[in-house]
Amino acid sequence: MDMELTGEQQLLVDAVETLGTRWQTMPPGHERDYAFYAADLQAALAEGGFLRAGLDMGMLEAGLVALEVSRLPVVTSIGASALVSAALLGDVFSGPVAIITSDWRKPQRLLPVAAYALVLRDDRALLLDMAGVTVEAVSSIYGYPYGRLAVEPDWSSARDLGEGSGALLQQWARVALACESAGAAQSAVRITVDHVKERFAFGRAIGSYQAVQHRLAQCYQISRGMRFLALHAAWSGDPVGADIAATYAQDHVNKLAFDLHQFSGGMGVTCEYQLHFFSYRLRALQAELGGADGAATAVYDRLWKTAA
Amino acid sequence: MEFAWTADQQAYRAHVRDALDELLPDNWGTHYAPQGYGSADQIAFSREFGPKLAERGLLVRHWPAEWGGESADPWEQFILAEEMKWRGEPRGPQYMNVNWLGPTLMKHGTPEQQQEHLGRIASGNVIWCQGYSEPGAGTDLAALQTRAEPKGNGYVVNGQKIWTSYSPFADFCFLLARTGSGRKDISIFLVPMDTPGIEVKPFPGLVGDGHLNEVFFTDVEVPGSARVGEEGKAWDIITYALSFERVGIPRYHVGRKLLDRAIAQLDREGRGNDPIIKARVGRIVAKFEAARLLTYVVVDQRAKGAPPSVDANVSRITASEACTDLTNFLMEYVPDCLADGDAILREFHRGNIAATIAAGTYELQLNMIARGALDLPRGN
Ligand SMILES: Cc1cc2nc3c(=O)[nH]c(=O)nc-3n(C[C@H](O)[C@H](O)[C@H](O)COP(=O)(O)OP(=O)(O)OC[C@H]3O[C@@H](n4cnc5c(N)ncnc54)[C@H](O)[C@@H]3O)c2cc1C
Repeated sequence: MDMELTGEQQLLVDAVETLGTRWQTMPPGHERDYAFYAADLQAALAEGGFLRAGLDMGMLEAGLVALEVSRLPVVTSIGASALVSAALLGDVFSGPVAIITSDWRKPQRLLPVAAYALVLRDDRALLLDMAGVTVEAVSSIYGYPYGRLAVEPDWSSARDLGEGSGALLQQWARVALACESAGAAQSAVRITVDHVKERFAFGRAIGSYQAVQHRLAQCYQISRGMRFLALHAAWSGDPVGADIAATYAQDHVNKLAFDLHQFSGGMGVTCEYQLHFFSYRLRALQAELGGADGAATAVYDRLWKTAA
Repeated sequence: MEFAWTADQQAYRAHVRDALDELLPDNWGTHYAPQGYGSADQIAFSREFGPKLAERGLLVRHWPAEWGGESADPWEQFILAEEMKWRGEPRGPQYMNVNWLGPTLMKHGTPEQQQEHLGRIASGNVIWCQGYSEPGAGTDLAALQTRAEPKGNGYVVNGQKIWTSYSPFADFCFLLARTGSGRKDISIFLVPMDTPGIEVKPFPGLVGDGHLNEVFFTDVEVPGSARVGEEGKAWDIITYALSFERVGIPRYHVGRKLLDRAIAQLDREGRGNDPIIKARVGRIVAKFEAARLLTYVVVDQRAKGAPPSVDANVSRITASEACTDLTNFLMEYVPDCLADGDAILREFHRGNIAATIAAGTYELQLNMIARGALDLPRGN
């Protein structure tokens, strides 16, 4: 048991951080967007071999990459690529991947940009090549681009990933959402903490008020819990670990979203302040795969096996 | 980062489990465990059990060889603590001795103090209490009023402590007293509880037996040789000891066991498949697991010899919240445990009222995180 990054892991994280420097702000012209999919960052991650971390180094390292990339305000398909594709396919695509676990008629995260989709149908996972599939963009305020399949695809043309693949897709989608949430939460806390140190009320920094400090300390605690549970789930490959990490992440989004926006005041609803990129992304992830109730129920069923 | 237990660590856990299976009497779970480890029965039990653990090398294995240990790393210390906690802590209050009082003496005690106390602790039949809090000094510990006035080669102590757990049964007190006029002019004394002038008065309350006591010190003569560290310089020592106490008890480890009990009962009542219960319990498990990993962050730092950090506060509040969530769940879904139901669940509930207060309140931990992790400015 070693809770610190090894030298190699630290190098990996540093490299992702360095690569991400260019994307720490929204590209010109997109400052007012709720989400910006950074195709060039996705390409750079593929080019740099970062999407393959899970295959080349280990799934914990893939989790670290996903978490680090998710600290940036721009969006990629990092979780679906580095974690889910790697675990299910033993391979990664350089292009973006969407994950469809709800009814295909519903709006899906990342679908407008996806080159491939991993689809949960019954208890199997299908790999759908998006070339030739028509997607309608959906206007959304969530922190990812959303789209909807215009017509039901010919599922028989998709690659069936076989027995047990559905469960595996759910598991790794939960790990991915936990890692992405942990990264987003870390940035969201940092932005707000910086803000309350600089903004004054009644002659004092807002961050000097204990009512503010206590809730921010709890937000920090949550982001730390998210981090370690997500990385542990990536490392273990144990389905219950994935359910636990998703439960914890999804269950705590309400608190983060409320407290962090609250302490950002009016600034938090302006486009120049970055909080919403992270808070709305957390909201999007919170709703996936049945949310905290769905993940928590899975935890219970796995541990006590009393499922009907 | 690497989350796996080594083969040695796994073997050690199995060894501890086997030893407990063998050493614990049949009525441990029904008679002793439900009473809580401050109870007279459990304390008496621990005085017999401690030497058995010591004989097997399971009491102070993490201590250096010089003091009877094998220099096992903090991971083994925690594996042991987890397994003990899982069974209901048969070491009784001795968990304090071996985990932080002894190590504090190794670091700050005089050779004579080490000679006198470490051997006794390592033999497993001595009980200590911690005399910190006072009626007017809880969270604000530095406001304590108990005074040690110099007299001859020693001191005369006058004052009062409160909530001094285990004091009715304790052989020694790890006592904090003021020795100067500055706010942090505080010293530590190792005081035998049978010293004339010490009076212990238990008082009734809501938590388990043995915790709620007043301890009065009236003209108690303490030799200078009983002082730990320099006069008036105890603050750093006590901060060190408290940082160990905060993550000294692996409470995250009991959650699953208690949930097993609660769910077994719910199953018997035909409620084990209630979707609301499932969603609630899954969340509690997640919080306990977060507490576990956040505690392992602290253990890892200790194993690497790093100084105490704010991670101890983060670990502490997460474990406290998880235990509180569990208590709330028990109250709503297994309410008979407060009455004639499961005695272990009832004892957990009783003990847990204090879990967010003792060893520094939940709010104090938040203050420390705000300062230590977020670098937020002080009030004024
Ligand atoms: C079961 C039990 C066993 C104990 N065992 C021992 C023992 O063995 N030895 C010993 O010395 N002590 C012991 N204690 C005492 C314990 O350490 C104190 O109760 C604890 O430190 C809190 O002090 P207090 O009770 O005076 O609360 P107070 O200090 O009066 O605090 C009351 C409330 O005010 C809040 N508060 C206080 N100051 C601040 C602040 N600056 N910012 C924000 N909020 C604040 C607190 O968080 C708390 O919510 C025990 C307590 C219990 C309940």
